[in-house]
Amino acid sequence: MTDAPIFVADGIEKSFGGIQAVDGATMDVNRGSITALIGPNGAGKTTFFNLITGFYRPDQGRATFDGREVQGRPPYVIARLGMVRTFQITKALAAMPVIDNMMLAAPDQPGESLRNVIFHPVAWRRREEEVHEQAMELLDVFNLTRLADNYAGTLSGGQRKLLELARALMARPRFLLLDEPMAGINPTLGRRLLDHMQRLRAEEGVTFLFIEHDMEVVMNHSDRVIVMAEGRVIADGEPHEVRSDRAVIDAYLGGSSNGGGE
Amino acid sequence: MIEPLTIPVGVTLEAFTDIDFWTSVGIFAGIYTIFALGLQLNVGFTGIQNFGQAGFMAIGAYTMAILTAEEGMNFWLTLPISVLVTIAFGLLVGLPSLRLRADYFAIATIAFAEAIRLIALNARELTNGAQGIFGFDDSWDSISESIEDFIVDLGWTAVPSLFPLFLVTWGIAVLLMFTLTRVQGTPWGRVLRAIREDEDAARALGKNAFSYKLQSLAIAATIGAVAGWLLAIQLAFVVPDEFQPVVTFIGYVVLVLGGLANYWGVAVGAIILWTVLEGLRFLELPISETKIAALRFIIVGLVLIGLMAFRPQGVFGKREEMVLGD
Repeated sequence: MTDAPIFVADGIEKSFGGIQAVDGATMDVNRGSITALIGPNGAGKTTFFNLITGFYRPDQGRATFDGREVQGRPPYVIARLGMVRTFQITKALAAMPVIDNMMLAAPDQPGESLRNVIFHPVAWRRREEEVHEQAMELLDVFNLTRLADNYAGTLSGGQRKLLELARALMARPRFLLLDEPMAGINPTLGRRLLDHMQRLRAEEGVTFLFIEHDMEVVMNHSDRVIVMAEGRVIADGEPHEVRSDRAVIDAYLGGSSNGGGE
Repeated sequence: MIEPLTIPVGVTLEAFTDIDFWTSVGIFAGIYTIFALGLQLNVGFTGIQNFGQAGFMAIGAYTMAILTAEEGMNFWLTLPISVLVTIAFGLLVGLPSLRLRADYFAIATIAFAEAIRLIALNARELTNGAQGIFGFDDSWDSISESIEDFIVDLGWTAVPSLFPLFLVTWGIAVLLMFTLTRVQGTPWGRVLRAIREDEDAARALGKNAFSYKLQSLAIAATIGAVAGWLLAIQLAFVVPDEFQPVVTFIGYVVLVLGGLANYWGVAVGAIILWTVLEGLRFLELPISETKIAALRFIIVGLVLIGLMAFRPQGVFGKREEMVLGD
């Protein structure tokens, strides 16, 4: 069982009007791996994320997380199963303090039900204390402690990126999907983030699937690379294999004239 | 050439000491406070643009009045029943339309409220049409008299007849403000604020946004029903005309004056609005009374424009939250 892939997508399709955004994407993600999802702009990577996390409904295909079908289920159900995503354009809850952003994400808070708020005030307050402690620990990891009481909207772009990752971790994911986590953050913080990913994988067995354009990060920090182009998976293998794959080179050179930068 | 100084402008002092008059104004301010607390929950804390609050108010008032005056039911029993009926309508409106984008939801709710008003106007067998319903407030009157007697016993003999209603209205308003503020500070309230900020982010973190929006709407509808009973008692009748869309708009004016995302600000907004609106009745200008009545609204409009220019967050609102909320 532990050797079975944690996530399997089989023939996922989605079209918008006449445009086939995702055209039969098939992939699996190994348990405990750090897998990069790359591809030229418009390859359908973010759309694929939206399809497997419930934000879009696939036209065709199956997706299973830990043996459970997830395609077509609402986002909150998928998140509660332990498959948590972040967004390419950060979704900091701007007019809420950083600490509230963090505490919001904690699972199993009985106080999120109005009935428990009224009838079990002790239970949710106790949970709130635990959650606050966890939140402060995580903020410390990402150097955000001193900003805990600031509104999230006052954070810089890079800090928001970190907050979003820290917030996703508060949800205790087993499978974390990151949409361009390095975009817009400085190299020092980027390294911290990568270190933390490695540590979470080692200590808690968290699996990562991340969309990334920075080839240096992809080649040095992932153990597997999946390449998408025109809505399909065109290559899948270890970083060094993918780098020399003919189809990949063609996709990048033929896809966008500016090459593989952004 | 006009010489401004020769125009007799003044406000009679007796006007401000007329306690019967101000008790009545105070009740309206209290009713609008309660009414707008529901809007605050929806608009200020959940980010859903409920423009149908007058409709929920109408359902609360009509259910209470019809069951008491026409079915002969016990007045106190009609209150919980009218809450249930209002919640049912809240779900009826929310289930199909809360999935819509914010602006379409606003349109759907205003259409709902107008539908309710027009049904009340035309379903004459049930609602007595434009004539309205009377004679549902006997139980209230006896309570009111006991309160009045109690106050007289305390030594204040010139109690205005509406004073007990004033006390009860503001008692309910304060209780609601206190309770809502407390609930807002719980994890439940935090989820609502997250939905206001970014619904997709909340869903991605495992929150069933739709369910929370529905809860928010149902609670606001209930609060609207309470405002409806009090309005019915104050007027001693229920007519469709009292539930025009403008009632909801005035509720929004109260919200904007007091500031978003603050329950106590709602009371401040309502008091300011009604004091300005009713105080201006005593303005002495060399124009007819109907013109003065219209002028009052122009002045309220100017006050709002001034507020937008100098304090857009309202009296109690937080400026950061307004600026940051993209």
